[in-house]
Amino acid sequence: MAVFLMFGTARAQVYGTAGHTVTVQVSVITSVRVTVGTVNLNISSANVVAGQNLMSVTDQSTSLLWGTNSSLRKVSVSTSLAAPKFTLQLLALNPTAGNAAAQVTLSTTAQDFLLNIGRSSGSCTLQYTGSALASQGTGNDVHVITFTVATQ
Amino acid sequence: MNLAMMRSFAIIVLLCAAGGWTQLRAQISVQGGNPLLSVTTGTAGAQPVAVTNTSTSLRFRRQTVITKITVSTSCPGQRFSLAVLATNLTYGVAAPQVTLLNGMPATDFILNLPTNGTLNKTCTLLYTASATFAQGNSTELGNDVHAVTYTLVAQ
Repeated sequence: MAVFLMFGTARAQVYGTAGHTVTVQVSVITSVRVTVGTVNLNISSANVVAGQNLMSVTDQSTSLLWGTNSSLRKVSVSTSLAAPKFTLQLLALNPTAGNAAAQVTLSTTAQDFLLNIGRSSGSCTLQYTGSALASQGTGNDVHVITFTVATQ
Repeated sequence: MNLAMMRSFAIIVLLCAAGGWTQLRAQISVQGGNPLLSVTTGTAGAQPVAVTNTSTSLRFRRQTVITKITVSTSCPGQRFSLAVLATNLTYGVAAPQVTLLNGMPATDFILNLPTNGTLNKTCTLLYTASATFAQGNSTELGNDVHAVTYTLVAQ
């Protein structure tokens, strides 16, 4: 007696297919902003140490946020004030992506602030340090700080 | 015109008619061409803003059994995200939004298409494209080109 066994998988009947092409394009996107627009550093008598000429104050109240989908990118920083009377320095604290550069003494020439942030979205705390010598007297320096995402 | 030429002409006419009839009888078709979704903006500290497209639609015919439509895609080297959802559906039930991934198996897109109602039914294809900053951009990496296939099958 011959026994025939048939194996197969059940397939649902297909009535038709249709298709098209869908293209996804992602532009070069770069965005950078600070959380607060104004920072005030006030060197007062509270910052004076008797016998020391140098007085300084720091501020960590603001943060920098960025997003870039390009590779090999960094953030540079510069100030609008060409001849400041006092010294203003900036350091990136706790960046969530990339590496902080060494503390920058701000000038009108763009300087590295954050390195290796390519293709990331992140933030860091901005630590400003204002310092003055007692011998420099009193006054105000008003800086407009510019952060720029640039090719590394 | 000799007999052979007349015969050839007749065959050509019949083939054209058959092709047209087949087209008319297509059980499922995509209307509206090939959409392009461009992600162009993003937010510092967040991610690029997703974009949607509803310029295309799906047209399909009632069958003698309950049917469903599945979707799949081929996109070698896919880098960005693409999802599709059936909207403006008058018959059947739209499945939840389907994330389209290269080489994915056919995934339910519309279910429970009934045997009654109008002969031809349609739905709008709602595509959503998104990307993260970490996924890069098309200038450096190229576009994602999906060959998306919809299949009408017995449920």
